Amino acid sequence: MRCRWAGAQADDAEVARAVVDRIVAHVLAGNPRDAAPAVHEVLGEALFHERSRLEHASGQRADADREFWAGVARALRHAGAERSAKLLREVVARYAGEIRGHFDARVYAVATRALPVSLSALLNGLSPAHLVAHAGDLPNLEENVVLEGEIDTLRALARVGTIILAPTHSSNLDSLLLGFAIYRMGLPPFSYGAGLNLFTNPMTSFFMHHLGAYTVDRSKTDPLYRATLKEFATVLLEHGRHNLFFPGGTRSRSGEVETHLKKGLLGTGVVAFKNNLRAGAERPRVFVVPATATYPLVLEARSLVADFLEKTGRGLYLPAVDEFNLLHRWIDFLRGLLRLRLRIRLVIGKPLDPFGNDVDAEGVSRDGRGRPVDPARYLLVDGAIGDDPERDAEYTCGLVPAVLRAYRADTVALPTAILAFAVFERLRRSAPRLDLYRLLRSPSDELTLPVAEVASDVERLLGDLRALARDGRIRVSDEAADAATVVRRGLETFGTYHPVPVIERSADNLRVGDANLVFFYRNRLEGYGLDGSRPALPPDHSAHRV
Amino acid sequence: MGERDSCTDRPVAVLGAGNWGTTLAHLAASNGRPVLLWTRDPRQREEINSARSNSRGVPGLVLARGVRAVTDLGEALARPVLVIVAIPSQAFREVCRAAGELLAPEHLVVHATKGLERSTHRRMTEVLLEETCVRQIGVLSGPNIAAEIAAGKPAGTVVTSHFPRVVRECRRALSSPRLMVFAGDDIAGVELAGAFKNVVAIAAGIAAEMQVGENAKALLLTRGLAEMARLGTALGARPLTFAGLAGVGDLAVTCASAQSRNNRVGRALARGEALPDILRQLGMVAEGVDAAASAHELALAHSVDVPLMDQVFRVLYEGRSPSASLDELMRLWAGHDVGASAGRSRASLLG
Repeated sequence: MRCRWAGAQADDAEVARAVVDRIVAHVLAGNPRDAAPAVHEVLGEALFHERSRLEHASGQRADADREFWAGVARALRHAGAERSAKLLREVVARYAGEIRGHFDARVYAVATRALPVSLSALLNGLSPAHLVAHAGDLPNLEENVVLEGEIDTLRALARVGTIILAPTHSSNLDSLLLGFAIYRMGLPPFSYGAGLNLFTNPMTSFFMHHLGAYTVDRSKTDPLYRATLKEFATVLLEHGRHNLFFPGGTRSRSGEVETHLKKGLLGTGVVAFKNNLRAGAERPRVFVVPATATYPLVLEARSLVADFLEKTGRGLYLPAVDEFNLLHRWIDFLRGLLRLRLRIRLVIGKPLDPFGNDVDAEGVSRDGRGRPVDPARYLLVDGAIGDDPERDAEYTCGLVPAVLRAYRADTVALPTAILAFAVFERLRRSAPRLDLYRLLRSPSDELTLPVAEVASDVERLLGDLRALARDGRIRVSDEAADAATVVRRGLETFGTYHPVPVIERSADNLRVGDANLVFFYRNRLEGYGLDGSRPALPPDHSAHRV
Repeated sequence: MGERDSCTDRPVAVLGAGNWGTTLAHLAASNGRPVLLWTRDPRQREEINSARSNSRGVPGLVLARGVRAVTDLGEALARPVLVIVAIPSQAFREVCRAAGELLAPEHLVVHATKGLERSTHRRMTEVLLEETCVRQIGVLSGPNIAAEIAAGKPAGTVVTSHFPRVVRECRRALSSPRLMVFAGDDIAGVELAGAFKNVVAIAAGIAAEMQVGENAKALLLTRGLAEMARLGTALGARPLTFAGLAGVGDLAVTCASAQSRNNRVGRALARGEALPDILRQLGMVAEGVDAAASAHELALAHSVDVPLMDQVFRVLYEGRSPSASLDELMRLWAGHDVGASAGRSRASLLG
C-alpha cells in the first residue's frame, strides 16, 4: 500500500494515465448490455457536443479547441479501427489533461501545509500590495467562522477511509471557507473539483491552483467528458485522496438550501469503494460527509437572485454582472463581516456510507435501527462483488435524501433570514393578488410595515423554529434570543454590505430597500413548513427513494 | 452480470402464510424452487408440511412439494436471497423489525401487501427501509385473486423496483405460462394504488348490494380511479401508473369480484351490519378499512378532493348510512370528467 501523501507526486501522472486507460478500455469494450457503440459514434457525439459549445465560445482556449476538433473531424473521416482508437485516446487524454489542469501534487502538498490562517494573509499572498492598502483591516477567519458538528468523527474517519466532503453551495466564498475549515480541522488536503470560473477569477485562482483543485467545465456537455471527469474523481478516491465537491452543482440562485443534487460525482463513492474492495485495498471505505454553510450575508446575493428571477420570470429580469468578480465587493463584504463581528457558520454533518447509512466514529455503518451493517455486502451477487451500474446508480439515489436532510437540519436560522422571512410573508399577505414579480417590483412606499407587527411575526416564527430545532430539523442561532434582538441584529447586518440597506427602519416602520434581497434571504427558511412556506419532509421520513 | 445471478435452485423465502403468501410460495415451488414459508402458527406449519394444504389460507389447494413451512424466522431467512413479504399492513412493521435482525445488505426483498401503516400513513417499502438495512427492494401488485391463481387460471402481475436484478429474480421465481410478470418502476404509485383501490372496492360492494345498476357501478369505478390517481399523484405517484395493472387492473377485479374481502365488507355494510361484526365474520384482514382512514387523513393534509373515499370513510367510521352517502355523492359529483379541471370539481362548484 503506497503512503498516501508522500507518494502524491508520483501518483499524479498515474491518476491521469489510469483515467485515460479505463475510459478507452470501457469504450472499446462497449457496453455489454447494448450493442457496442462504435468508437466512431462516441467520437461523433463528442464532435457534435463540442462544436455546439464552441459556437458560442470565444477566447484563446476556444480557438485552440476549435483547431483541435477540426483536426479530429478530418482524421475521423478516413480512420480505420486502429486510427480511430488512437483518436479516442487523444480526445480522452486532452479532457483528462484539462481536468487535471494545473494540479501539481508538489505545490499541492506544500501550499496546503502552509495554508495561511487569515483571509487577509491569503489576500496578501495573492495580490499586489496596493490591493491590500485599499482593503484596510480584513477579518480573521478564526473569529468570523464558526466550525461545529461532527468534526471529531470526520477526523477519525479521514484516518480509516477516504472522505467525500459534500457541502451546500451558496457562494463562491464556499471554496475558501472549506479550504480554511479543512486546514483548521487538521485534515490532510482535499482534491476539489472546481468550476472553470474559479480559475479565471483573480480572487480565487490562486487557491484553486494550489489547493488540489481540478477543473470542472460545466459548459462541456459531451458524455465522454462527463465520464472522464467522473473517472478522474473515482481514481483520486481510490488513491486515498479525500475529495470535495458541491453535489448541488452550482450556487443556489434563490437563496434556498439545495432541494436536488447531481448524482454523477456523488456516485463515485460507491464505484471507488467497489474498485477498492476488488483491489484488496487496505482502507477501502469511502465516507460521504455533508457540510452546511450559512452566511449572514451572501457576497454575490444580488447577482444570484437576479439570475433566479430572470430564469423563472422568463426575461422580466436582467442578470447583473456577477459581483463575485468585482474586487471592491469582496473588500466591502469582508469589512462588513469584521465590523459587525458577523459569523459564518459551517456545520459538519453526520457521516454517511455510499448507501445512505449513518457511520459512527469507528467507521461502522449503522442501519435505521442502529444495527451494524457491512457495506461491502451491498455489492455481493452470489457471494462475490458483482458489477451492476444500474444498482450502483440506484444506491446513490438512495443517498441523496440523506444528504438533503442533513443540509436542512444543519442550516442555522440567522437573524437576517428570520427577519427577511417575517417581512416577506407579511408583504405577501398584505397583497394576496400580486404575483411574486409584481410584489417584488412594488414601489418602495408600498413596501413599508409597522415594526411592531413585524416583531410579533418574528416572535411567532422563533417559536416555530425552536420547535423544529428541538426535533433536530434546523439550528437556531444564539443571536436569535428574542424578537427584538433578531430585528435589531437583522437590520444592523442588512445595513452593512449591500448597496442599499435590504431593510431599514424609519421611525416606527420598516422599509424594504431591496425586495429581491428580502426574497433571497427569506428563502433560506423555505421548505420547513413554516407559515407561508412549502411543507417539510417528515423528520424521520425514510432516507431513501422508494 | 445477470448470467451469474442465482442458480435456479436457490431457495426463496415467503414471510406470511395468508392466502396470497401461500399462493406465491406455491407458484415459486411449482417453478422448481425450494420455498421456506414462514408462519407464526405451529398448527398451520404442521398442516402445510404434513398434509400439503393450508385450509385457512387457500382452501382446496394442494401445495407444491417444494414448500416447507417454518415458524423460525432465522431458519426462513438463512439461505434465500429473494425474500417475499406478504404480511398485513398493520403487522408489517413488527415482522420487518424482527427480520431486520437477520436480513443482510445482499438480500432482495419484495413485498406483496396492499395497504398503508395506519398510524404513520407510511408505504410498506418505507417501513422496510426504516426497519432493515436492505436497499434492493420492490413491490408485487396487480389484479391477482389468490384462489384463481392457485387454481392455475391465467393472470398478470407487476413487479416494481428500481433495481433490475430484483425484477429479474422475481420473474425467475414466479413467472410461468399461467402468470405473466410485468416490470415497473413507480414504487410509490403501485403501493398507493394498491392501498386506495381497496377503499373504492368497499364502495363497489355497497353499490352492488344496493342494486344500483351497472351504470352506477361504472360511474363509481371511474370516479374512484380518478380519486386514487389524484391523491396518489399528490403523494408522489406518477399518474400513468393508475392506468396499469396495479391501478385500473386491480381496481376492476376488486370491484367486480364477490370474493374480494373489501367488496364483501361493502356488501355487509349495505345490509346494515355493524363493522366489528363484519370483520369478525370475515376472519381475515380487510385492508380497505384501515386504508379508508389513511386516505381520508392524507387527502385532508394535501388538500385533495376525494368525495367517494370520504363517503366510505363516513360510512365506516361515522355511522352514516350507505344510502345517505350515495345521495350526498350524487349531489357533489358534477364537475369536469377528465382534463385540466377534473380534480377541482368541488372547488369550482363552491366558487
